Amino acid sequence: MAQTALRVREASVKRAKTRNKDAWIAAAILTPMFLFWLIASGFPTLFGFLLGFFNWIGLNDTPNFVWFDNFVSFFKNPVYTAALWRSIWLGGLVTSVTVIAGFGAALLMNMPLFAKGFYRTIWYIPAVTSTVATTQVFNTLLDTNNGVINNVLKSMGKEPIVWQYSVNWGIFWIVVYSVWKGVGGTALILLAGLQSVDPTLYEASEIDGADRWGKLRYVTLPGLKPFATYIVITSLISALQIYEQVLFITDGGPYGQTEVLVFRIYRDGFWDFNLGMAGASSLIMAIVVIAVAVLYFNRSSKAERQTTIPVKPLKRGQ
Amino acid sequence: MPAELRAKIMNQFKPIHLLGHILLFGIGLVLLYPLIFMVLAGFFNKTEFMSTVLGVFPIPKEPTLDNFKMLIFGTTDSATAVYLRNSVIRAVYNTFGALLTSFLAGYVFARLKFKGKDQIFLIMLATQMIPTTLAIIPTYLEYARFPFAGGNHVFTGGSGILDTWWVYFIGGPAINIMGTFLVKQSLEKVPVEIDESAKIDGAGTFRLIFQILFPLQLPIMAYIAITTALAAWNDFITPFFYTHSDYLQTLPSAITRISSIGVSPGAVIDYPMIITLSLGITIPALIIFFFLQKYIVQGLANTGIKG
Repeated sequence: MAQTALRVREASVKRAKTRNKDAWIAAAILTPMFLFWLIASGFPTLFGFLLGFFNWIGLNDTPNFVWFDNFVSFFKNPVYTAALWRSIWLGGLVTSVTVIAGFGAALLMNMPLFAKGFYRTIWYIPAVTSTVATTQVFNTLLDTNNGVINNVLKSMGKEPIVWQYSVNWGIFWIVVYSVWKGVGGTALILLAGLQSVDPTLYEASEIDGADRWGKLRYVTLPGLKPFATYIVITSLISALQIYEQVLFITDGGPYGQTEVLVFRIYRDGFWDFNLGMAGASSLIMAIVVIAVAVLYFNRSSKAERQTTIPVKPLKRGQ
Repeated sequence: MPAELRAKIMNQFKPIHLLGHILLFGIGLVLLYPLIFMVLAGFFNKTEFMSTVLGVFPIPKEPTLDNFKMLIFGTTDSATAVYLRNSVIRAVYNTFGALLTSFLAGYVFARLKFKGKDQIFLIMLATQMIPTTLAIIPTYLEYARFPFAGGNHVFTGGSGILDTWWVYFIGGPAINIMGTFLVKQSLEKVPVEIDESAKIDGAGTFRLIFQILFPLQLPIMAYIAITTALAAWNDFITPFFYTHSDYLQTLPSAITRISSIGVSPGAVIDYPMIITLSLGITIPALIIFFFLQKYIVQGLANTGIKG
């Protein structure tokens, strides 16, 4: 009796010792990484949550704590609310076009075609290119005087279009660019989803008399659900924060009518040096994005969550 | 066999499969078009590019390799050589940082036992939900007010670490949370018995990590390396927002300077130069992609979501 107790005690002491040793190793490995992380993103993010509550114009100004003044002016000023709405509907538009086109492409890529790998590659290529470089190529194509698209229009006897003067064309090219860049990755992830559907389910549904549409509706779509949710949410989160293409294709013009909220943040922060207002807008953007992410976490089941990578794709320049 | 092969070939000509080929190839070409245009435009010299009416597939009358030469050797323009060098340094540095931190931290969270492990990991993942936009302006302020750096008397007075090499170096050794997550997931599939038998055979923790566990994680490490390298290579935010000296610019930020947002309104934009620099960014990225695409596809498909 006493011996068993002693043995149990020894074992637990040993376990506690390895725990202790493990904790030291963990601390030694993680501490430096966390310190750098704190400087590079932890502290700025925390700071970002507070910045909106200050009136802070210009780097050398002394910040004043002004409670919710910035947020009040945000919702009073139509420039900001318009930018917020534009971010939301533009994000929704880009996401829906990308996902629908990506789904179609995934269905095609899932057929037993020769050269499947080749198609996958060429569809994915835009995703690995630099936004700065490829928006500039788009600009070259869209140039008023000697752009390829206007040259084609001219050769068809039509008037060249000055894309920069039109809100609708500006939005159109921003959407085209975003879809161009995103459709390949979306198609690849949905393709993985299609391939993960158990083939015996198709056979079973065939026995039950399902036709092509029946199979799509009752086997493919339910099986694709976790992938579809994932891709819709991640695309939406990144599409809400679109601004590079706005900056480089329209520069917010004409008259700020293609400004999205993140673009506004950039203008406030680096042109007008209205840091408090930039902070308030960032916080509002963050709340919208986090709301979308939380919605996703509530909608997806626990089992799905455990096997799902968290909301942000692996992509960070810093 | 030939009969089977013939059946396979005939199968490609079913109407629905033919449609698949046509759509995938046709739209694929449209998707590639901007890049095709970019490569063709790279063969133009500046005067010819400005003076010809560009068709859909512009072919120069006097093709020149000067643009490509300039990129590789930086002969005509020493500035470009500097941009290229900075881009390479950033990509290499960040990739090594991401590999090291992801692997070590992934090991810590997958294998070691200590108090509060799960909580720390959950908090780390939660921070990933916060959009990066939130941190752009605060990062700028933090760098500008960095204590005792760049002439700062504690917090103010100088320019902090803005516009120094530090803005590039700080992010590298920071823990890469997504990479950590991926390594943790993949390490948890490796049986613990491997660790134990290695320890019995006399391997220390260090040897266990680098000689036994690391080689098992190569596919996932390749995925992390490619995505980080491409992200760092294509990144313009850091140089664009936090530096302004010429010697610190990278290829992407150099483009922004001569593009429509960099030059004064109404000035003639030097498209040939922009196209050349764009080629300099795009071609290496494509080369990395072509050689390692297997891992990207695997990574996207396997490590992401399992239905």
